[in-house]
Amino acid sequence: MKKLIMRRKASDNVYLHRDFHNALNIGLGYVEKRFGANAVAEYLRRFAKSFYAPLSRQMRRRGLGALKKHLQRVYALEKGAIRISCSRDELRFKVKYCPAVRHIRKMGFEVSPLFIETERAVYGAICEGTPFAHELVRYDPTTGKSVQRFCRRQNKTLFATKTHK
Amino acid sequence: MISCTDFIAAYSELFEFLEKRGGEKAVNDFWNYLSDHYLAKTLKRLVKKHGIRGCWLYWKQTLNEEAADFTMELDEAAGIFRITMHRCPSKWHLLKWRHIKPYPEYCLHCDHLYRRILEPMGYRYHLDLTESGRARCSLVVTRKSIKDKG
Repeated sequence: MKKLIMRRKASDNVYLHRDFHNALNIGLGYVEKRFGANAVAEYLRRFAKSFYAPLSRQMRRRGLGALKKHLQRVYALEKGAIRISCSRDELRFKVKYCPAVRHIRKMGFEVSPLFIETERAVYGAICEGTPFAHELVRYDPTTGKSVQRFCRRQNKTLFATKTHK
Repeated sequence: MISCTDFIAAYSELFEFLEKRGGEKAVNDFWNYLSDHYLAKTLKRLVKKHGIRGCWLYWKQTLNEEAADFTMELDEAAGIFRITMHRCPSKWHLLKWRHIKPYPEYCLHCDHLYRRILEPMGYRYHLDLTESGRARCSLVVTRKSIKDKG
């Protein structure tokens, strides 16, 4: 019978709790079951519009460079392999595998078929109100491998985000 | 991809979304669902295998990965497990992000999720959230004695 004590300060560790991906995945499953598939996209859109509002603002001011910086930060943190090409009018990025999908599978959980919305709905919402549109060119639900494109809209009207399954 | 470092904001927004769609019941139902589908495979398995030390093993991993500021104590013989959260990383992030409005009852999920697992397994679960507005809380899990159970 043991007596144990552990004292940790925030600075003792790196903030990276990958099991949060599982919780989100289960959350998406619950929303779909209770309110339908459209509700999943709507929830993620609302979240992204609110939480990533500073990023959208930066994209309006500084263009795609702000998004590039965001993507580099996120994938470096999660140790995901990513290739980005970026010009003034277009950013294209390829993800070899999605670190979230990989972790969920590694833990033995099934990935929600709507996990794709964590790309499509989220980046679509980030682009709303900016001069850019998002396109999910390719997506593999098994690995989360994807090709995504952000490009400057052709006219001043803010189109809906174009996506492919 | 939503980075796991941004998850807390997504979680808080999910509670908000559920409450708007289905009221408090939808939020509570989700917490039950998450507890049954996630914690049953993690915390419950550990406690089943190791007794109260399962709590230590579960929170040792999560709190370190979440970079929490905490003191954790286990007295196996007395059947007591305690967490003193000096700064909860989730609540701290929610308080820090000024551009979003956190779900007002955010901290209640901790009371709901773990109680649902531990009480049926023969443990008392007490979570003190009186200082949650300062990202502090304390949790005590105690093993019920045979007399208590009767």
